[in-house]
Amino acid sequence: MMTALVVLAGAIMTVAAVFAVEAKKILDSVIAMSVVSLVSVFLFIAMRAPDVAITEASVGAGLVTAVFLVALFRMKGGDEE
Amino acid sequence: MITAFFVLVAAGVILSFIRILLGPTSSDRVAALDTMNVMLIGTITVIALILKRGIYLDIALVYGLLSYLETVVISRYMEGRK
Repeated sequence: MMTALVVLAGAIMTVAAVFAVEAKKILDSVIAMSVVSLVSVFLFIAMRAPDVAITEASVGAGLVTAVFLVALFRMKGGDEE
Repeated sequence: MITAFFVLVAAGVILSFIRILLGPTSSDRVAALDTMNVMLIGTITVIALILKRGIYLDIALVYGLLSYLETVVISRYMEGRK
């Protein structure tokens, strides 16, 4: 059962990474990158590494999204293409 | 019981991910992302119950706080952009 969940998580992670590269708007890329970090938190837990999962949760979900969006907000008109 | 939980969560994650992939606006994608965050927090708590180790609950706590912060930051950005 755990193997099937890990395979599903890997498939979602790959598709989300490709979508983050190919998205038209930058906000959609940030959202897809947040999905990649979410799935990687689950994969770290499935690999029995709770400390790495805590670090990935705090960096991936909190810091990277906040820094990218603050930079995108300072950079006026950077949202088209 | 546990198997039924994981099957239902997998179905919810797949449907939310489809909404992230082909949602017309960014608001749909943010709502689907928040749904996936909540499902991941529940999954982490059930894994802590299965493995009988308390440290996984700390991950659920930290991730709950930070996913809320993430949703608020994205919403503030979409509000200020017009």
